[in-house]
Amino acid sequence: MSDARANRCPVTVIGGFLGSGKTTLLRRVLADEGSKGIAVVINEFGEVALDHHLVRQVGEQTVLVSGGCVCCNRRDDLVRVMRDLLDLDERGPIRKLRRVLIETSGLADPAPILFTLVTDPVLQHHFFVDGIVATVDAVNGQLQLDLHEESRKQATVADQLVLTKVDMAEPDELEKLVHRLRTINPMARITSAVFGELAGGRLFGDGASPSSLREGWGSGLSAEPERELYKANSSSPPTETRSLCLRLDQPLDWVAFTIWLSMLLHARGEDVLRVKGLINAREVGAVVLNGVQHVLHPPEHLERWPAEDESSRLVFITRKLDPQSIVRSLNAFQCLGGGQPVDANVSN
Amino acid sequence: MSRAEEVKSALCVLCGQLVTELHWAERRFDAGATGGLGTELGRRRDRFHRTRIVKQVLEHYGLQFDDDWSATSYVLANRKGASELVQNLGQLWPAAQRMAGRPLDPLDPGLLCALEAKQKGQGAA
Repeated sequence: MSDARANRCPVTVIGGFLGSGKTTLLRRVLADEGSKGIAVVINEFGEVALDHHLVRQVGEQTVLVSGGCVCCNRRDDLVRVMRDLLDLDERGPIRKLRRVLIETSGLADPAPILFTLVTDPVLQHHFFVDGIVATVDAVNGQLQLDLHEESRKQATVADQLVLTKVDMAEPDELEKLVHRLRTINPMARITSAVFGELAGGRLFGDGASPSSLREGWGSGLSAEPERELYKANSSSPPTETRSLCLRLDQPLDWVAFTIWLSMLLHARGEDVLRVKGLINAREVGAVVLNGVQHVLHPPEHLERWPAEDESSRLVFITRKLDPQSIVRSLNAFQCLGGGQPVDANVSN
Repeated sequence: MSRAEEVKSALCVLCGQLVTELHWAERRFDAGATGGLGTELGRRRDRFHRTRIVKQVLEHYGLQFDDDWSATSYVLANRKGASELVQNLGQLWPAAQRMAGRPLDPLDPGLLCALEAKQKGQGAA
């Protein structure tokens, strides 16, 4: 287990647009996983349809931190509830807490939840975000993605997309939706569920390894899907959201990279909707990178590489940013560090 | 296991400055080998490298950047004599933007042209 995760409780954030089946999925997952030691935090507008003794409701009260942007909001209600859970866990009234599930409201932005868990001085030492799941309605998903920014944001920041109501959707419509979701978020694992029952795979990992390493993350960045992705972007209606997949064969200068990334997220964080990657920083193992807008999880320095392929892989999902200028800028900073220009295999 | 993770807080015995949290950019994997990147020697090496790179970037905005004598903070200054201590990259960019009086953007074509020209100049020399 990575040291950054040791002795900390995994948190899974379950989001998805209104009526997309979050609660159904949650009920089924709790039944399958065995609910002992799992706490569920739901929003105040959600139905309390869970027969579960550790359900806590939050009011989604966000506090704009000084100089903060939309993503850098602290969720005070969430802080109170999570500290309450921690207190119950440590005082002993509940069985050992082994996971917290946070079900967001259908219109919620997951970024402030991450910001809260990563930056709160107490919570950051007791919890870590193990993954973000978003449910997508297979019947109405396209329309929701067309009409609602919230829906696109939820799909963009998710580690796993669960298509619900797939039994009611036409096969060709389903295929188009999957294609669109892959365009929006090429790094997310896409699964499906009928009445909350997942078809293959599990919603959670063991909490020991980053969600990005489970199910062979990175294998989706082979050349073929990238070309498909490019085609999809070229033929679909103009959208401000674009994804950029980079594969770098030579190791990166880690110091130059962190200077560049911190400057980029400071200046353009609101437009870098998601950044995720495995970095070869000339260390013994990979460095796992995972960020949502201005909020970057502390990168995990692993003891080894998850596979034989030791090339760096980076995915950016951006809004209004030119992918070529990102590559040019990364190159300029790497050269400042004394390195060679990165030989980037780019698809956007 | 990353030893850098163990360093949650430290107090500088000379200036009494409390370093409460290691910034993510300063963490490194270290298997315990002497001179490894996660050791004090590695940390100093990274700081020196970081200072050299940031200095070149901030030059474009008329700012100066140096490591302080204790290697716990960085000194940011402008040509008018104003200076400020920053602990890490997280504090650097907002402070530098304030001091420069304009946004600091790594995608700014003007900055990239300047950095690329600098690189070409170094290559030619």
